[in-house]
Amino acid sequence: MSIFHNFYIGLQNACYIWRKEMQQVFKDEGVLMFFIVVPLAYPLLYSWIYNNEVVRDVPVCVVDESHSALSRQFIRMCDASPDVKVAYYAQDIDEAKSLVSRQLVKGVYLIPSSFTADTYGLRQGTISVYCDMSLMLTYKAIFQTAQVVSMEMGSELTKKLGGHYTARDEAVAARPLDYDDVPIFSPSGGYGSSILPVVLILILQQTLVLGIGLSAGTARDENPYRNLIPLGDKRYEDTLPIVLGKSLCYLMVFAIMGTWLVVIVPRLFNFPHLATWQSLLAVMTPYTLACIFFGIVMSCMVKYRENVMLLVVFISVPLLFMTGVSWPQSNIPGYWQGVSWLFPSTFGARAYVRINSMGATLSDVQTEYHILWLQAGVYFLLACVVYRFQVYRSRIQAKERLDFLRHKRAQTFQNNSAD
Amino acid sequence: MIYLRQIYEIMMRELLILRQNHIYRFCMVLFPLLVIVFFTSILDDGVPTSMPVGVVDLDNTSMTRSLTRRLDAFQISRVVAHYPSMSEAREAIQRNEIYGFLYIPKGTTDKLLAKRQPKISYYYSNTTLAAGSMVMKDMKTISTLGSAAVGQATMRARGFTPQQTQALLQPIKIDLHQIANPWSSYNVYLTTVMVPGLIMLFIFLISSYSLGTELKFVTSKKWLELADNNIVIALTGKFLPQTLIWLAIIFSYEYYVFFHLGFPHLGSPWMLVLIALMQVLASQGFGIFAFGLMPSLRMSMSISSLWAVLSISMAGSAFPIMGMDGALQSLSWLFPLRHYWMMYQICIFNGFPLIEAWFHFAALTAFMLLPWLVMNKIKNAMLTYVYIP
Repeated sequence: MSIFHNFYIGLQNACYIWRKEMQQVFKDEGVLMFFIVVPLAYPLLYSWIYNNEVVRDVPVCVVDESHSALSRQFIRMCDASPDVKVAYYAQDIDEAKSLVSRQLVKGVYLIPSSFTADTYGLRQGTISVYCDMSLMLTYKAIFQTAQVVSMEMGSELTKKLGGHYTARDEAVAARPLDYDDVPIFSPSGGYGSSILPVVLILILQQTLVLGIGLSAGTARDENPYRNLIPLGDKRYEDTLPIVLGKSLCYLMVFAIMGTWLVVIVPRLFNFPHLATWQSLLAVMTPYTLACIFFGIVMSCMVKYRENVMLLVVFISVPLLFMTGVSWPQSNIPGYWQGVSWLFPSTFGARAYVRINSMGATLSDVQTEYHILWLQAGVYFLLACVVYRFQVYRSRIQAKERLDFLRHKRAQTFQNNSAD
Repeated sequence: MIYLRQIYEIMMRELLILRQNHIYRFCMVLFPLLVIVFFTSILDDGVPTSMPVGVVDLDNTSMTRSLTRRLDAFQISRVVAHYPSMSEAREAIQRNEIYGFLYIPKGTTDKLLAKRQPKISYYYSNTTLAAGSMVMKDMKTISTLGSAAVGQATMRARGFTPQQTQALLQPIKIDLHQIANPWSSYNVYLTTVMVPGLIMLFIFLISSYSLGTELKFVTSKKWLELADNNIVIALTGKFLPQTLIWLAIIFSYEYYVFFHLGFPHLGSPWMLVLIALMQVLASQGFGIFAFGLMPSLRMSMSISSLWAVLSISMAGSAFPIMGMDGALQSLSWLFPLRHYWMMYQICIFNGFPLIEAWFHFAALTAFMLLPWLVMNKIKNAMLTYVYIP
């Protein structure tokens, strides 16, 4: 009987705290901004930024000292390729350099005067490629185009020089071992398709932590002792109802925002979305829970409400790197791998990218899935510990205050009677 | 003279504030240093090495095994596993065990010797863009070399000289010059935008924060009193100590990266001093402007952080600005980091004269002057506003 009664009271308190937290979330502009506005707007913004996926028509400058049919063929073929555009012709390398310095071109193709003679004289014709290395994507476009064009022209020449009899003979001689280049998963090789899924997952974690931190900061600001729980409210006496009530509120908000982030946005902008709803749900549930409890634990370390921004925002970029998508996971030093274990986003992003962009099943991401549940569990316990401490502190403070009032009253009473 | 005295007084007061509130210690010194250490250590290799790739070798002859061995010998790729079938290799990619694999079908060697042009293929995943494109490069080279090896043998038998053989296999060769970053090091390429970007984030935030807390802790009137209600004096005195600390942080970053780690810097060292100064002042200008625009601690900090996080994408170092939509290309002008990065890559990385970056220099100067527009609004806020959480 008493167990059931206690359970009932606990449930009631949890519901009360849930309602209070809900009210606070929708009353507080700052929290609302991080819970609703940022998760809604940022994905759209990032999708817009990376919408074009690849760079086309990178401007290059050609210094043609050869002025031959062969060199002109090379220039024509480069210009016709999708990635490079021959924007300028320069007289010499100095002029080309000045074009680079004015940011008009990103690279230079220099065809020396001996090019044709060398090529036909079996001495290997050389084309020099100078790249501005400040942008990796344009460097790749310029270099790879030159490589592909030179190989294509080269195999044509080999056919002519080889002295073969039939067309088939020529083809085999040019390439005795044929090969196929197959990019599986995100075949367009787009920058957005690779980076955006991780950004979405990170937005979820960071906005949650920021929002929870801000809301906790407000609670602290409102409390005369700068405690996390309101003074003298009987319903805030037990740890479990507090943690459950609060996280239920966040979970409800982020069930919606999470769906928007991981289901709707990729479909809206046609980024890869191969995941089945079952595996997506299976991964996102522990991830969201882990983020919520992580946010609650973090929020206890915040002294003033605005400080949370100073602590949380800058971590986003290192976290992005630690997920192993922009820099290969196999090359992250061990100690940083260890640090990355603290954050749910590391495993959330890895699991999400694999099931969503690569069509993996839940069993393929089992490690990540288990770690996410583990994190959710550990952070839940930590959140309980932290709130337990808050309850304890507020009890002591309440007692102090009571003693202080009693003492004061006794004093005034004494004074009165002395009068 | 009296102005100098006032500025001195306010500076001392500011130093006291910086010392008392721990958050300044963290955000102005500890976190920036942490960020510097993080990026330089995680990208220490420069180029990812020994990335795991797999092989599906259904032919299993001495020729195909030598192909596998040669792939393993590359610096970037390491053959970690052999898979009995294609689908198992694909699943290994999905489990994140390998980044790509080489597929050699049965009968490859036989066909090769019989001149029937066999076909091998290589598969790589583009979801991890850098890793995928790098193992692709290796596997492509290996496939081409496989062709070359056969051709070489035939030609040697026919009596060509090695030079002629080389010329016949590859009549045109590309002589690549990677200016300023010949190692194509990712450390050089990413650290130099991420670290300044995050330091800018801290400068934005701390500038708005230190103004907003004057309102929050109800010290604003005292602050202005020290300056006789002259807002220029008040702001100068308040931000000068911060400027000096930021400069110290950025100089130590520049020293560590350009002189200790030896990142390329073709321009003169004075350019490093100039760019550090521009970076700090422009970011402080933006932070103060953000507060002036909305004199509330929370809103100004939100704007600062959202802007700073966006600016890392809008700097256009990873995905170039010229690949974005037209509207975004113009919008990129509104981000101080964009101008900083352009100035860095024109004047320091490539070592061109400052005049080539005049537009970005002017834009950064404009950011420095932004507080001028909101000066009176800040004064008004400090004297009359009340902190609302």
